[in-house]
Amino acid sequence: MSKIGITALVPPELIFACDCSPLDVNNFIPESRKYPRNKLCAWTAIWKEMLIQKEIRIESLIVVAGGDCHNALVDGQKVAMSGTRTHFFFYPFDGDAEYLESQLWRLSDFLGDIKNPDKFKEITNLKKLGQDMDKKRYNGKINPGEAFRILISSSDLQSDPDKFRKAISSIRENNIELNSRVALIGVPPIYHDFHDVAQSLDLAIVFDELPYEFIRHGGNNIREIARDYCNYTFARPLEFRINFLQKELEKRNIDGVIHYTQFACHHMLEDEVIRKELDYPVLTIQGDLPGKTPEQIKLRLEAFREALLRS
Amino acid sequence: MIGLDVGSTSAKRVTIEKGELKYNITSSQNWRDLVDGIDCDEIISTGYFRNSVPHRASVTEITAAIHGVRHYFPDIDVIVDIGGQDTKVIDIRKNNFMINDKCSAGTGAFLEFVANYFRLELVELGRLHMNAKRIPDINNTCGVFAISEMISQLVAGYSKEEVIAGMHHAFARRISFMIPDAEKIALIGGTVKNEGMVMALKDLLRKEIFIPPEPQIINALGALKYYS
Ligand code: SF4
Repeated sequence: MSKIGITALVPPELIFACDCSPLDVNNFIPESRKYPRNKLCAWTAIWKEMLIQKEIRIESLIVVAGGDCHNALVDGQKVAMSGTRTHFFFYPFDGDAEYLESQLWRLSDFLGDIKNPDKFKEITNLKKLGQDMDKKRYNGKINPGEAFRILISSSDLQSDPDKFRKAISSIRENNIELNSRVALIGVPPIYHDFHDVAQSLDLAIVFDELPYEFIRHGGNNIREIARDYCNYTFARPLEFRINFLQKELEKRNIDGVIHYTQFACHHMLEDEVIRKELDYPVLTIQGDLPGKTPEQIKLRLEAFREALLRS
Repeated sequence: MIGLDVGSTSAKRVTIEKGELKYNITSSQNWRDLVDGIDCDEIISTGYFRNSVPHRASVTEITAAIHGVRHYFPDIDVIVDIGGQDTKVIDIRKNNFMINDKCSAGTGAFLEFVANYFRLELVELGRLHMNAKRIPDINNTCGVFAISEMISQLVAGYSKEEVIAGMHHAFARRISFMIPDAEKIALIGGTVKNEGMVMALKDLLRKEIFIPPEPQIINALGALKYYS
C-alpha cells in the first residue's frame, strides 16, 4: 500500500479507499531533535527537512494549503522541488461543498482512484469509536492524556485502521477526578509531554480542538464527505469556528481555555478575537521548538490553575 | 512564617512581626542567607525558584503579586510586575495574566544593557533621566537594535542623559502595549525603582499609577499573605 504523507487534515477515508495509507508528517515533530534552518513555524520547517532528506519515507505528499497554512504551502513546494510527487489540497473558506467535492475528485485522481469503497464505512465506524472515547474523557472515564494520544493519531488512523481500533480498545476506563476542566484550542502544542504536564498541575484537558476535528467528519462516499468536511472549522471564517467552539465548551462544562499558538503562525493573530468572544478565562501560550514543555510554560499553567481556583 | 521570593536575579524575604513589615533583599545565589535557621515549614515560597527552595507551600508570582499588592491597594485593576528577566501584566478584573519573557525589550534586562553601555549602575539611570532637556525618539522595538539606535542618537549630538530618557520612553512604550485599558494600575518589581522609567510610563498611560513603598518585595509579601 502506498504511503501518502499528509500535512494536515485530509479525509483519511478517501486515502484508504484509494488503497493507499495516510501518514501524518506532523507526528514526527514533537519528539524531533532537529534544529531546522530557515525556520518560521517549526512544524512545517521540520517536516520539510525530514522529507527532503528522506527521513520520513513516503511515496507522495498531500499538502493542505487552502484554508489552512501558508507556511505549509511554501514548505510543501520545497519538498515538491526536491522530487517528491506532491498534490496541493484546498479547503473552501466559504464552506462551498461543490468546490470541496471537486477538490476531492482531483485528490482521488492523484491517488489513482477509489478501489475499495467499503473503507468509507469502516473509517466512519472507527471515528464513532473515537467520538465515544472523547465523550468518556469529558465524563471522567478516561485519562485525558491517554485519550489525547489516540485522538491526535486519528488524522491518519496510525496508517492502519486495525492498529487504530486496537489502540482504542486497549484504553482502560477509570473514574477520574476532573478538578479544573480545560479546553485546549488552537493548533496542538509542539511539546510531547504537554497533556501530562497539564494533568500533573491539576488541569484536566477535556477538549482538544483540532483532534476533535479529526474524528468529527466523515461520510460514505465523496459526495457525503464533501458535505461534512466543508465544515472543518480551521478552514472556515473565525466567526464560524468560534460559534462551534462555544457549543463544545458549554457541552463539556469547561472552566477555562488554553489557547496554544505557535511561533510565526498566523493563528496567533486570532488570539485577541478568541479572548474577546469566549466568555471563559483564557490562557494564551506560545511554543516554538519541539521537546519537553519548558519551565516558562509550566509557570503559566500553574498560574492559570491558581487563577481558575480564584474564579 | 516568612514569605520568600527567589527570582532570577534577586531573593527577598518578608516577615510581619507584631504588625510591622520587615524585609531583606539579596542576590538570588545568596538566598540561603535569608532562611538561615528557619524551618522549611515556616517558608512560603514564590518566584522562579519557588519549587527548588525549601518550603511549606509555594505559589506562583502571579498569585503572590495579587495578594501582595492588595495589602497596600485593595482595589487595583491591573498589576504590572517588571522584573529582571520578564514582565507580567495581571488583569485582576478579568482574572487574566500575560507574561513577556521572550523579548528583552520589555524587561529589566533592557535597561541593564543601557546601564552597561554607559558603565553605570542601574539605579543611576533614573537620576540622569531627570537632567534631560529633550527626549530623542527611539523607535526600534527590539532590545538589540534599540541599543544601536541609541548610539546613533549619541552620534547625532544628544547627550547621555537625553539618550537615557529616550530609552526609558522606548521601554515604557513597549510595556504599555501589554497593559489593558484600566483606571488603577499598580507597578511592582525592582525596575520600578527607576523614577525615569516610571515617569515615561506615566506619561504614556495617563492613568492613576500606584507604587508600593518597596516595590521589589511585593511578591514575597504576597506569598506570606496568601498563606496566612
Ligand atoms: S502551526 Fe500554524 S504555521 Fe505551523 S503548520 Fe500549523 S497552521 Fe501552519
